[in-house]
Amino acid sequence: MKLLQKTTRDYLIASISILIITGAALFAMLRYEVGAEMNEQLELLADELFEQIRAGNFNSAPMSVIGKASPDQPEGNVFSDSMVYDRIQKETEEYHVLKQTRQLDLGRYQVTVMTSHIGWDRYYLSIFFIFSLEALLLTGSGIIINYYINKNVLRPFLGNLRKVQQFSVSSTEPLQLNESSITEFIELNRTLKEMTDRSRKEYLALREFTENASHEIQTPLSIIQSKLDRMSQLEISEQMAGYIVQAKSGVDRLSKMNRSLLLLAKLDNKAFTGQHPVELQETIQQQLSNMEELFESRQIKLTSACSAATVRADPYLVETLISNLLSNALRYTTPGGRVDIGLADRTLTVSNSGPELQFAPERIFERFTKNDSNSRSTGLGLAIVREICLFYNWPVRYAYAGGIHPGGIHRFEIEFKQ
Amino acid sequence: MKLLLVEDEPLLLEEMESYLTEQGYRCERATTFFEGQEKLHLYHYDLVVLDITIPGGSGLGLLQQFKLDHKNTGVLIVSAKNSLDDKVSGLQLGADDYITKPFHMEELNARIFALLRRRSFNGENQIRIDDLSINMAHKSVTVAGQPLTLTKKEYELLLYFVINKNRVVSRQSIAEHLWGDHYDMADNYDAVYVHTMNLRKKIAALSSTDYVKTVHGMGYKWSSQ
Repeated sequence: MKLLQKTTRDYLIASISILIITGAALFAMLRYEVGAEMNEQLELLADELFEQIRAGNFNSAPMSVIGKASPDQPEGNVFSDSMVYDRIQKETEEYHVLKQTRQLDLGRYQVTVMTSHIGWDRYYLSIFFIFSLEALLLTGSGIIINYYINKNVLRPFLGNLRKVQQFSVSSTEPLQLNESSITEFIELNRTLKEMTDRSRKEYLALREFTENASHEIQTPLSIIQSKLDRMSQLEISEQMAGYIVQAKSGVDRLSKMNRSLLLLAKLDNKAFTGQHPVELQETIQQQLSNMEELFESRQIKLTSACSAATVRADPYLVETLISNLLSNALRYTTPGGRVDIGLADRTLTVSNSGPELQFAPERIFERFTKNDSNSRSTGLGLAIVREICLFYNWPVRYAYAGGIHPGGIHRFEIEFKQ
Repeated sequence: MKLLLVEDEPLLLEEMESYLTEQGYRCERATTFFEGQEKLHLYHYDLVVLDITIPGGSGLGLLQQFKLDHKNTGVLIVSAKNSLDDKVSGLQLGADDYITKPFHMEELNARIFALLRRRSFNGENQIRIDDLSINMAHKSVTVAGQPLTLTKKEYELLLYFVINKNRVVSRQSIAEHLWGDHYDMADNYDAVYVHTMNLRKKIAALSSTDYVKTVHGMGYKWSSQ
């Protein structure tokens, strides 16, 4: 529920309750006051009539009756309501009646006086009418006031809300908020600004840290690698050579992993902004011609059928995407198997024969997911593929089908949406 | 050929200096921005190996300064940041090539060799080593006067061995040189083995000597006679 709807609703409920209570109170008060006034008036009238009777005038005034009362009738006032026919308006109307009995020297007399009053149902009706009007006016004005608040007071707030929703810590500009004259909104803006500035600062520091950490790691790695290379130049035993080879392969993996993680961090940070037209067919051919001997040396049959397609993207990322897919196919195809590459309708498919995955297929693009047998893999190649596809909104799919080939066919599909 | 090595990491600098000196280059070193600035101002070098992150300033800043008055000096940028921005801005500022840490000394040497050959106007296109003659303009090789037919990769492999002669070249180094330094490239040692074997067989068919030696499973070495 929107804030305005909520406040309007609460306001309406409150005002209607107040109107009902005050309406009822008004009615009760009126009834009491007017009734008392009428009784006083009738008593005065009766008193005047008795004065006339004392003076010997028995002519009854209009709307009054003078009569002798039986001696056993008690003295005092009796009030009642009665219906009297109105000749002019041709309808019976409600009258308030006082019958007063007094013992005079002449005997016991009863005087009946009456006065018309507007029927209580009329009072009800008038009050109901006025209060309904009041309720209508209050509601109307409430809606108008709320509309005005919406238009003018809440507008900067709603604008800021949209800005905060669209704000990303990786954006180059700090958050700019609309000014407001409302104290609460000023406070809110200040808090938001502080919060986003702080997260932006922390984010930038983290990014700097990632870059620096990568730099700091690469240099010692360079030293280890160059010193291991230096050691291999010396006259050493077979055993020593074995250790050096093992150490080198560790350094190699570490350095590849470090670079892959840095690339992933950069993709997360959306640090690639370059957009150039890239000929996919050309890039694939280039990568294939670079790698064909590698497939050959493992007796893998490689076929490719590519039609021309151009994407707008960072050429380096496209190259990395394709080379990672091909490396993956090369690594997981059993010797003697086959790899088929196709590019049609802007969709790249890379299928390779190979044994089934040792993990759930949906985990294939996760970081550090790999078959146990491939301890040399960094387990980041396909994670990078997915991140690049996410970065450009290219749908990427994986499917496995058991079939005639030993193990079955792994199939990767990327749609280069424009 | 006179080289200036601008690098702040002493152990790496020492390694670069000793290998490049072995290869017949005259090397001088600078470890800070100002030292580099001073040396580049006073002396002429054929090539500068320039680390981007050095104390006192950025290698790119240094590049920008001296490229204005030393257009003939080749520049090879060394960076620990495998960042495309650095690469692009470095090449735009007039650097000739870019290499990312960690690198193999043989790769650095091969890059320097290629760079100097490209830059020298009377480019020496012929390498003679033992009974081989390599024509780099035509990418053709003769062994004892007879033509040797090589695939593209075998030719690149031969050149890599010859440029780094008498040094054990590791399988990693060869794989990276031939197939590039991809993020998740499989260790292509089988392919390195196959290519090296083919190359050896082809040379052995024409020459009496097998120059390529296998060294304890670490790699291979071109043993010049």
